[in-house]
Amino acid sequence: MNWLSALARGAEIPVFAVAGAQGLAPVEGLRRRPGLRLVDSPRHARVLLVAGAVDAAHKTALERLHAQLPPPRGTVWWQAAPLFARGEAVAGNDPLPAIRAAAEASDPDQRPDVPPHPWQGMGPHGQGGRGMMGGNPYGRPMAMTAEDIRDGLELDAYSARFGPFLPMLPPGLALDLTLQGDVIVSVTVVSPPFEQGVQGDAPDLCAARMLRLMGIGPRAARARGALMVLPKGSGMRRRLAAWLRGGTVAETPEPLSEALPGLEWAEAVLWLASFPPSQLRAVCMERQAA
Amino acid sequence: MIAAALTLLLALPPLVWVAAMFDRIGTGRGAVLIGPLQNGAALLLRPNTATEAPDRLNRLLAPGWYLALALVGLSVVPLAPGVVASDISTGLVLWGACEALTVVVVFLHGWSPNAPLPLIGAYRYVAIGLPAMLLSMFVLIGAALPAQSLSVVEVVEAQREIWNVIRQPLGLPLFMALGLAITLRGPFDYADGAELAGGTSAEESGPALALWHFARAAMLVAFSAMAATAFLGGHLGPVLPGPVWLLLKTLVLMALSVAAGRFFARMPPARMLTFLWVVLLPLSFASLALVGVEVLP
Repeated sequence: MNWLSALARGAEIPVFAVAGAQGLAPVEGLRRRPGLRLVDSPRHARVLLVAGAVDAAHKTALERLHAQLPPPRGTVWWQAAPLFARGEAVAGNDPLPAIRAAAEASDPDQRPDVPPHPWQGMGPHGQGGRGMMGGNPYGRPMAMTAEDIRDGLELDAYSARFGPFLPMLPPGLALDLTLQGDVIVSVTVVSPPFEQGVQGDAPDLCAARMLRLMGIGPRAARARGALMVLPKGSGMRRRLAAWLRGGTVAETPEPLSEALPGLEWAEAVLWLASFPPSQLRAVCMERQAA
Repeated sequence: MIAAALTLLLALPPLVWVAAMFDRIGTGRGAVLIGPLQNGAALLLRPNTATEAPDRLNRLLAPGWYLALALVGLSVVPLAPGVVASDISTGLVLWGACEALTVVVVFLHGWSPNAPLPLIGAYRYVAIGLPAMLLSMFVLIGAALPAQSLSVVEVVEAQREIWNVIRQPLGLPLFMALGLAITLRGPFDYADGAELAGGTSAEESGPALALWHFARAAMLVAFSAMAATAFLGGHLGPVLPGPVWLLLKTLVLMALSVAAGRFFARMPPARMLTFLWVVLLPLSFASLALVGVEVLP
């Protein structure tokens, strides 16, 4: 297999980037760097890059993310204080040398390979639900039928936590969602998005994030009817159009727990991406304070 | 027949490579020629991932099935007069079966890791895949009508005078929509999109992921060869030998599919579902009706 290894040496390093506080803009800047490729899933990555400070409250989530990278894996903390003793920290503007080094590294497991919760021992099969459905065996949620919010038919409802490092959500935002299929039934905000400062609200960056969710690059957008594919009446077209013109968006989103239920997953993530991170953070913080 | 099958097997890997190169052109990443090979090699050296309580058999087989469907679909394409791997009188039906089974295979790929994002991708793909397949059936019946046969060889022969792309101008664009759907591309990538962090492939890594990408590219080759055959006259053409014409047309359609995948934005699935049933399917009926009127004696 020597020739395969020799060929693989020139490959781009697949990196899963976690954007912490002030980390969104620097991560976006890495997207066009040769030698590395930002991937959407930690399973596809060789290196975990933590860019910007992550609250200690998210330590367990970050450790779980680390465990999702198939071994051998490496970790780089870029302008971030390490939350656990894996990988190297870099402070400068260029994390690429550290990423290259991490691509040769092999972090040991950070979390023990055991279920996050014990078997709960409730209900007829001990999983905590009714019959053979529902419950939370070993901390893994199982679906349970409930009335569909659109037509009242009984459909499986599935509750789980999404975030804080899912790449399609604003970094830091963690939501407890109940889903029926891909329709969001209920939403609780667990943690607000991280502070991103003014660069996080930059129009080109916001537009690029939204367009990526629609499967096209930023250059494609203006002429290509990207606006037409967005649903009418949600304000998404207006906000994307403003960003594409280079303008800023100052609209305040509705609280997430009211705006998201009833939306399908793709629409919900587009809706979230259609607000500047600072506005989303403000509305989530307000809710938590109340 | 054996010669044709061997030719296809030998031609597929280089064409998959070309497809991967097309995907890199214009992305600003450089290394267009060697990049896909290097990344593929690196991926092969990574381990497969284990998930909790997966459907092991289907997880193992889904990428292989996808590749097999691409190969079977490709086998009905005549490479030159009389040279075709599956020389059957119902070639278009066999191709249609491959399209339909692609929906099943992509679903299994999303179902088997037992994780939420892949499963959402799988269900969404089935919802979008069904009308996309229906559309392609009407379009292909349109291509079969002038030939009065479901044999792909006859469909090519019927285009000696005039190519179907001119006779049925709506056919090829509508068929391209199907091509984007079965190759999980751009506006029809409801299975593996960025809003699901890779969707059905989100939990895959290593050789399993490499094979899935290979199969996707192979399906692009199969689709392009089929589209070239049904609408651009396949191996027909002056001066150059038949297989060269087929290759050139296939490459053009591959490039067009890649470009279309980058050009058009992806709608939220509910909107796409309405668009498919309300706009594209009636258009395919209209296209079929026009072809019917045209071939009336």
